[in-house]
Amino acid sequence: MILTGNEIKKSVCSGKIVISPFSEEQLTSNSYDLRLGDILLKYKSKVLDPKKKSKYEYINIPSSGYTLNKGDFVLGSTKEKIGSNYFVPIIHAKSGIARMGLFVHITADLIDIGSIGNSTLQFFATLPVKIFPDMLIAQVSFWVPKGKITLYKGKYQHSEGPKSSLTYLDYHGKKH
Amino acid sequence: MILTGNEIQRQLDKGNILLCPFNSSQLNPNSYNYRLGPFLKVFIKFNGNKSVFKKVRIPKKGYILKPGRMYLGHTEELIGSKKYAMSLIGRSSMGRLGLFLQVSANLGHTNSSHHWTLELVPSIPIRIYPNMIIGQVSFWTNRGEIKKYTGKFGKYNLPQEAMNRYDINR
Repeated sequence: MILTGNEIKKSVCSGKIVISPFSEEQLTSNSYDLRLGDILLKYKSKVLDPKKKSKYEYINIPSSGYTLNKGDFVLGSTKEKIGSNYFVPIIHAKSGIARMGLFVHITADLIDIGSIGNSTLQFFATLPVKIFPDMLIAQVSFWVPKGKITLYKGKYQHSEGPKSSLTYLDYHGKKH
Repeated sequence: MILTGNEIQRQLDKGNILLCPFNSSQLNPNSYNYRLGPFLKVFIKFNGNKSVFKKVRIPKKGYILKPGRMYLGHTEELIGSKKYAMSLIGRSSMGRLGLFLQVSANLGHTNSSHHWTLELVPSIPIRIYPNMIIGQVSFWTNRGEIKKYTGKFGKYNLPQEAMNRYDINR
């Protein structure tokens, strides 16, 4: 079952869902619209290796906007801290953003119960597209779980801003 | 409703979910981490009627995927359920490295059970390794009578390219 906008609002008020800052205007029928934070992360390594820490740089998105060219891949983040210890969040693009050819995540839409923080967005541009800080860019829906809940304690907990892949930690201490 | 990690374990023990091999350390709060199987199919050319792929074994030292290309891979695990629908996606650690694990076909049908074919599309060059944890599968409760799965991909256990011509001629 998916929560309605009204139920999302109730759950924010009762503390079952974290959306901060929260503005009622961003509620939709079945989701909450998310704003873009003002920092992007761009990798500098020529070949990304999941077993190694990648090099990257941060880019401030100017208020005049930042242009992503066709084929560009950068990480951004939601302005809001989001999460829930009771429901499973799923991230989606706003359809207006998708219609401009911009992916806001790369097949990783599912958030673990108990994961709370700025959600890292994975931008992949299929056409040139300009993005602005604070723009409404994504949406989050909340889904009812079945079964006993064990909360997330993973490596991206309490993320602030875009967070690069920490997959190399999985291999830490191993030869490969 | 989406099953929690504890419920995935419980339903696995009851035989309602198949994850083989299974390792409880790969359970997440609401999904299960799957591994990349040893074979890839690399797109070579389109011959006017269909795409031609070359089968490659991923070396232990890794294999570099290049942007602008599409590769088929498969899950190490047999994944299936007679009771639940599935959604198979990449894990965020791979999304953060710009690697698509499927091309907008994330839905796994109730009653299907196989090594899932993955559609790998890198947005920047990335090295992948056999047996690496690469994505996650979630399980969803159904509402309504469950129809037997009669699809044609369920029986394939290696990366399987599309069979759309078959659909058209049927």
